[in-house]
Amino acid sequence: MSSEEDGPLVGRADTLTQIQSDLHSAGPGGTSAVFVTGESGVGKSRLLRETAVAMRDAGFAVLSGMCLDIGDASPLHPVLQALRQFDHNVQPAGDAGALLDRVSQDLRAVAGDRRLLLVLDDLQWADRSTRQLLLYLLAGLGDVRIAVLAAVRAEALQGAHPLRKVLAELRRLRSVRVVDLAPLDRDRTVELVGAITGGKADAEDADRVYKRSGGNPFVAEELARDLRDGRVELSDTLREIFLSRVDELPPHAHSVVHAIAAGVEPVGHDVLARVVPLSEAELIEAVRAAVDHRIVTGADDGYRLRHRLVAEILAAEVLPAEATVLHRQYALALEPSAGTPAEPDHARLAHHWQKAGEPGRALPSVVAAARSAEELYGFTEAHRYWSSALELTTDAAPERTELLAHAAESAHQCGEHLRALSRLDDLSRRPDAPSQCDLHLRRARYLAAAGRTATAEAEYERALEAPDCSPRQRASAAAYLAELLLHLGRYADANARAVDALEMAEVNGSTADLVRASAALGFSAAFREDPDAGLAVIRNAVDIAERSGHPDELGVAYLHLAELLAGPLNNIEEGVLVARRGAARLASLGAGRTYQTRLLAIAANGLFRVGQWGEADTVLEAAMRHRPSGADAVELLLARCRLWVGFGDVQAAHRDLDAVATLLAGGGARHVLPMLTLRAGLAMWQGEHATARAAVQRGLTETRSDDLVLIGVLAWHGLRAEAEAHAAGQPVDAGALRRLTVAVERMAAGVGNAALPVRGVIDGYLDLCAAELSRVEGRQDPAPWAKAATTWDKRRQPYPAAYSRLRQAEAALRRKSRKTAAIGALREAYATATAMGARPFAAEIVSVAHRYKVTLADDVPTREFPAPGTGEADELSLLTVREREVLAAVAEGLTNREIGERLFISERTVGVHVGHIFDKLQVRTRVQASRVFLTAA
Amino acid sequence: MNQSVWGPVHREMTDLLQGHPDDVPAVVDQLRALQEVLGHVPPLLVGNPLCDFNKLYLTITEGVLERLYAGKFKDPAFLSRLDVEFAARYFDALRAWAGAGTSPRCPEVWACLFQRIPGPDCRPLPSACAGVNAHINFDLPFALVTTFDHLGTDPIDESDQHHDYLEINDIFAEAIPGLRRGYLEKWQLLIDTMNGCLDDWWQGEAVEYTRNVAWRNAQKLWGVRHDMLATDRERAGLDRTAAGLSKLLLSPLGSFLQ
Repeated sequence: MSSEEDGPLVGRADTLTQIQSDLHSAGPGGTSAVFVTGESGVGKSRLLRETAVAMRDAGFAVLSGMCLDIGDASPLHPVLQALRQFDHNVQPAGDAGALLDRVSQDLRAVAGDRRLLLVLDDLQWADRSTRQLLLYLLAGLGDVRIAVLAAVRAEALQGAHPLRKVLAELRRLRSVRVVDLAPLDRDRTVELVGAITGGKADAEDADRVYKRSGGNPFVAEELARDLRDGRVELSDTLREIFLSRVDELPPHAHSVVHAIAAGVEPVGHDVLARVVPLSEAELIEAVRAAVDHRIVTGADDGYRLRHRLVAEILAAEVLPAEATVLHRQYALALEPSAGTPAEPDHARLAHHWQKAGEPGRALPSVVAAARSAEELYGFTEAHRYWSSALELTTDAAPERTELLAHAAESAHQCGEHLRALSRLDDLSRRPDAPSQCDLHLRRARYLAAAGRTATAEAEYERALEAPDCSPRQRASAAAYLAELLLHLGRYADANARAVDALEMAEVNGSTADLVRASAALGFSAAFREDPDAGLAVIRNAVDIAERSGHPDELGVAYLHLAELLAGPLNNIEEGVLVARRGAARLASLGAGRTYQTRLLAIAANGLFRVGQWGEADTVLEAAMRHRPSGADAVELLLARCRLWVGFGDVQAAHRDLDAVATLLAGGGARHVLPMLTLRAGLAMWQGEHATARAAVQRGLTETRSDDLVLIGVLAWHGLRAEAEAHAAGQPVDAGALRRLTVAVERMAAGVGNAALPVRGVIDGYLDLCAAELSRVEGRQDPAPWAKAATTWDKRRQPYPAAYSRLRQAEAALRRKSRKTAAIGALREAYATATAMGARPFAAEIVSVAHRYKVTLADDVPTREFPAPGTGEADELSLLTVREREVLAAVAEGLTNREIGERLFISERTVGVHVGHIFDKLQVRTRVQASRVFLTAA
Repeated sequence: MNQSVWGPVHREMTDLLQGHPDDVPAVVDQLRALQEVLGHVPPLLVGNPLCDFNKLYLTITEGVLERLYAGKFKDPAFLSRLDVEFAARYFDALRAWAGAGTSPRCPEVWACLFQRIPGPDCRPLPSACAGVNAHINFDLPFALVTTFDHLGTDPIDESDQHHDYLEINDIFAEAIPGLRRGYLEKWQLLIDTMNGCLDDWWQGEAVEYTRNVAWRNAQKLWGVRHDMLATDRERAGLDRTAAGLSKLLLSPLGSFLQ
């Protein structure tokens, strides 16, 4: 589009500069975004074009896409279309996450070593997949140094538009700006009029232009042109301006304009040639005229009306019959012909056939569009296509049964639970409906997803009782039911059901059912205080999955085992081992990316808890290399952010928190609590008590989580914030304190009902809360802190234990009582902190030591912390930190039992470690292993 | 715009509306600040109709916050989100208001009330009611849809969310300006009439009733939320209906409420 076609740009210089500088200054995650909102005609697209040119000149790779307003667009349309301009045709991928990764790769390829600017116009029409992709890229997960510039019509943001929510969340991030583009004021409008008329308009006329246009530059520009061209009476409305302009066109150009108005922009020249019955020469002349009259613009990919406002005006002018004919011609032009083997654009084809009043001919395209949307994991879009396919058929149509099944399943996939259920009801009334058992199973699955667990349970029961239920279906139903009961916390019922399910699955079930049933049995047994039995069952499930060798089954089985060990059984060390082994096993198969990511997340969280932060960092880095998306990405980012907070890397912590917030803008309320906890933790290290308090209070009031552990961490952070405020001589917020106490009371009341393994953790947090409360109240009492330290020692979690020791020592030193014990505690805490690399925590210990003139470094030399992840490049570098500790002990000649006692881990876990060490060092005996260790050391 | 509709408090108003509160305490703060600013809009000052509505709305939101803090809701996450989304729409309407006929982005139903800010004088009760009407009959269904979308759940009858949603009715009943019973009944009568459902008159559950209309509307919108054209149509329809009611409330007829 040449710049002379555009009128002068008035009153936007500052905005333009600001937008460019915002796009340039990427946030900590290497991404930036500007969303321009404003009414139609206010100049959003113009601003986008000008910025794109300037950024290209500044060395950015620029990619532009436009969203379609046909209601049903195909998933990722604007981005895929933009990539196609660079000859990148994105191929379907193994799963939704892999697809996002593939799109990112193509974007990186286009960008080369430049930064990338993605320009998206009319974002209000973007499909859900496109919005998700944007968030994925802006969260930095695609590893593309991207700047996004998008225009959104303000009118569209009214009501309940999904972008509203997204923008509301993104607005808070530093790297995202939302620019509300206002109409021009009087002076600027007059300036614009002057520029167009060459200064010939008198003040009175210019003023009238301002009044009529309300400062809308598009309207003002057209009014000014009327003035300049000597049209005597200013038209009153935009509609009149354009209708009179169109009327002035020669007849052929007139039909071209109406044809384009009925099409889906951009309208390609070849398509237009088939829609308008003109000779080549006539068509070109007609298009030329329409362009000269400033109604149409042409670009490489086809023709567009100059402005969407014009399209809307013209659409209202075309008679319904005329429109029908035009749509029919478009449809015919788009139908695949013998000469073109390429797949037609089903979304457009369906649109035109429907508008042409020929639903029968639309159906094949609608179905094809639904299938290709499913290939791109655009379940929302697929669901809409299946729904319109249903609208196009009557009850008598034989294909309706299949369509209903697809519509129900796609609704379930995109979270439209009610819709899925009602489609399923329709399906069950078909004469050729699936079997009763099948219907019950589906209904149960949909109900469970909708959170209606009681009815879901009843449906599973019905499926089991259905006379047409095959043994395989029965095994499957029982396994699902056991799983559901487990989630409901009904361990006894889950256990009984799981025993049945396992029996059935052993005879008739698939491996997947077997694994599911085993997991339900294992967890329910563990929760019912028979951990060994539970563990045995799940270990057996892993063996079964190993024999099947199927990646999904292996993934699930390892996941269950690792979760059971690291979670309820509190055998973190072995949980971490299992998780890493499972991830390595799947990696060797080259499959199960999602499971690898989840397993590594479990390992990292476990390593964090046992204080091996450097190792956790390494594992997280490996997990992030899988480029997770969605909830998996959020969990990893939260885990990594927890490390940054611990290490005291403020910038990295902020980056990950921003990335989490970006992803959560697309939905995902269940991760809000951990995010707020981390925000509070970070703020506290920075001495921002008010920020910490606000985050915790928001978490307390805005969640209904019945997860007492999450509440426990949050409440502890809240009380700690009040205590630190108190210690810093700032006022304690009485209201906040009251609400925190209520939360703690709720925990104390609920802890009795928690499963035994969870109880220990909650008790730990209750101890911390009680101790912080004593600090808020100014009682310098070391006793509650000593108690907390003991509890966390028992849980083998060094970080909270060391923190408790610090406070215990602080209180004792303040009271000047039991000074020796205090100094011991302080030194122990310091040793732990330095070993973990917990910089801000260590700094806090040092400042307490200074205050009370305690030397910390009798036996622990004060030293720089080694950067996490750096190790010697010898044979031992293959080993994890823990494995090296075990090896050192082996070299001392200790037995597994002795090593276990020294390192506070079970004898069994030591055995597993030793096995890994042998594998990695390629040795077979303890003596050989010791030799390698002694040579390297 | 050279002349602001907000007159001498233009600056304060613009600054205030820069804020996009994202939790309930922040909403309360913003409404409180707004109350202060609105009291300085000439010529009616504290007597202007928007002041009356804002005061009522502030009271109600404070009530919500109090109950949130007291743990009275089954799903506080839902309710907080809803409260924030709900308020955002009122603030949006204020931001979009630039005067009669020049505010294409301001919903008609709000424009009816905003137009009356300079006068002629209107009785406080109908004014507050017109605001409540705009907020409940127009804004609420959309706020509900966005909230459910955010939390990834469906609007299901008898759910925890529905329970909490209905809980707010009590707050309304308590808050409607120290209402003596008589006023409330008249007000109910009028709103019920306008909703066109004469059968429900005698039930005497006006606020509950209109709020349930909003819940139903939200369910309807929920079904078409991915269809921008259908959503737009619904929005225009709701705006028209609600605006009709507001005009009536603010007409001389509405004064029988006082």
